[in-house]
Amino acid sequence: MPPEAADVGAEYEALLQFLYLAPVGLAQTTLEGEIVMINPLSAQLLMPLSQQGFSNLFAALEDVAPDLRHQAAKFGAASGMICDGVRIQLGPGTVTKPDAQTLSLTLLKLDSKRLMAVLSDVTEHVKRERLLRQSEAWLNAIMTGVRDYALISLDSQGRIDSWNESIGRITGHDSSAVGEPYSIFYPGDGITPHRLMDRLREADDSGWSLDDGWRQRANGSRFWGSALLSPLRLLQDDTGPAYCLIIRDITDKLEASETIRRATSCDHLTGIANRRMLFEAAEIELARWRRAPRPLTLLMLDADHFKTINDRFGHPAGDAVLCSLAAALTSTFRECDIVARVGGEEFAVLLPSTSVQGALAVATRLLSVVAGQTLEIEGHRIQYTVSGGVASMEADVTGFDALMKRADRALYAAKSAGRNRVQSFG
Amino acid sequence: MSTLLRLDFVRADLHAQLDACTDDDLDELEFGVIGFDDENTVRRYNVFESQMAGLSRDRVIDMPLFTGVAPCMNNFLVAQRFEDAAADGSTLDDVIDYVFTLRMRPVRVKLRLLTAPGRRFRYVLVKRAL
Repeated sequence: MPPEAADVGAEYEALLQFLYLAPVGLAQTTLEGEIVMINPLSAQLLMPLSQQGFSNLFAALEDVAPDLRHQAAKFGAASGMICDGVRIQLGPGTVTKPDAQTLSLTLLKLDSKRLMAVLSDVTEHVKRERLLRQSEAWLNAIMTGVRDYALISLDSQGRIDSWNESIGRITGHDSSAVGEPYSIFYPGDGITPHRLMDRLREADDSGWSLDDGWRQRANGSRFWGSALLSPLRLLQDDTGPAYCLIIRDITDKLEASETIRRATSCDHLTGIANRRMLFEAAEIELARWRRAPRPLTLLMLDADHFKTINDRFGHPAGDAVLCSLAAALTSTFRECDIVARVGGEEFAVLLPSTSVQGALAVATRLLSVVAGQTLEIEGHRIQYTVSGGVASMEADVTGFDALMKRADRALYAAKSAGRNRVQSFG
Repeated sequence: MSTLLRLDFVRADLHAQLDACTDDDLDELEFGVIGFDDENTVRRYNVFESQMAGLSRDRVIDMPLFTGVAPCMNNFLVAQRFEDAAADGSTLDDVIDYVFTLRMRPVRVKLRLLTAPGRRFRYVLVKRAL
C-alpha cells in the first residue's frame, strides 16, 4: 500500500471515531427525510421514538413534531436554515426519568438533495431555563417597574383579611371584599377552589408563589396581572394575616411576555399549548394532586378520519380543520384548563378539579359544537367530528404517561365504538 | 476452530466459553465481541466487531467503553444494566434490540449483555438483526 493510502485509511478511521464520539446528534437525510447517514448520538436520541427502527427522520419525529415534514417541504429556498434549535418535547416524565425529555433540533437544507439535522438533548438546559425564568419573574415582580400595586393580606384560608386604598385603586373592589376568597380577583373560570389552596401551599413550601395571567376588576373588566403570594407567619404562634398577596397590573408588558410564551409554549399552527407546555403543567398538577388528591381528569381527543380529510381536500384544509378544532376547544373549556395539541390531529385537555362525569359533560358539548359546524375552505364545505377518551388521576396511576395511556385507551374505545363520541377509562 | 464456529450467539453457557477463548478464537466468531473489565475498560475486541464498526483493535483496546468507545451505549439500556448488576452482585444475561450506527448507517442489532460475579470479563455481544 502506498504511504498516502495508509494515511488516508488511518484518517478515515479517526474521522469515524470522531463521529462515533461526538456528543451531539448529526444526521444527513434526503429532502424527504430518508436517513442517509446518522451518528450514534442521533440514533440514541431517536431510538425511544421509533419502535420499528428508523429509516426516515420525519417519520421518527412524526408524533412529537408533526409539522416538521410540512415545514421542510414548504421551505422554498435552494439552501438554508429550515429551523434552528427548535425544542421538541418527547414523552412526559416517567418514574425513572422524572423530567420530561426535550430535544433541540436544527435542520439545514444543504442543496436540492440533502438535509443536515443536528439533534441534542436539552432536558437539563430546559430545566435550568425554567428555574431561571421563575427567579427572573420573581425579581421582576418585586424590583422593576413598580408604579402601582395592590397589597392584600389574606387569612390562612386565602380570604381577604382587611381592605386598603391600594386594593381599590388596582382592582376596584371596596371594603365589602373583606372575607371573600382571593379568587374574586380572577375571571370566573380562571381559578378553582383547589387551585386557590394549592397556591397557598406552594407559597408555604417555597416561600413564594408567582402567577401571571388575566385578573378581573370589580366591574368585570380584565387586566394582565402579576400576583406574588408569600406567607407571613414565620413562627407557628404568629398571629395576624397568614399571607401577603401583591397584585400588579402589567398589561403593558403583556405583549413582550406573550411573544416569549408563544415562541416556547405554543403549537405554531393552532396557537394553543404545545406538548412541552402540557407536560410542564401536568407535572405541576400531579405534584398538587399528590399533596392533596382531588378530582383531576385528562381528556384526549382525536379528529375522526383526519387522514381522509387531508387526502381529499389537501394539507391546507387539514390545517384549517386543526385550527377550527383548537378554537372550539379554547372556547369550550375553562381558562384554568390546559388545552394542548400533542400530535398531528391529537389534542389533550387537562382539567383540574373536574370529575370524570364533569369532563364527559364538557367533552360531549364540544363534540356537538364540532359536529354542528361546517367549514368553508377553498370552496369545499367540510364537516368533521372528533372522538374523545377521559381518564382520571388515581392512586394507582404512576405518572402522567400512565394517565395519558388510560385516556388513550378510552379514546380507542370511542373510536372503535363508531367515533363522534367520548368514553371514559375502565 | 470448527467447534468455536458453532459457538452460537444464544448459547446458554456462552459467558464461560468466551472467557475460555483466546483472542484468536474470538476472531473466528461471526458476531461482534466487546469484552471489558469491571472498570469498563475494553480488554477484548474481535475482528467481526472491528470490521462492522470500521475501527481497528488498537483504537479501542484499553479505552473506557462507555465514554471513549461507544457512548451510544452509555444509557439505562446498556451501561446502567451492567452497573446495576455489579451493585447488587447479580448475573446479567439478556438480549435486547438496539440500533447501532455502524459507519454512520443505522443498523438494527441484537445485543447480548453478559456479566456475572467472579467472571473475568463482561461482554457486549453484537449480532445484526435479521
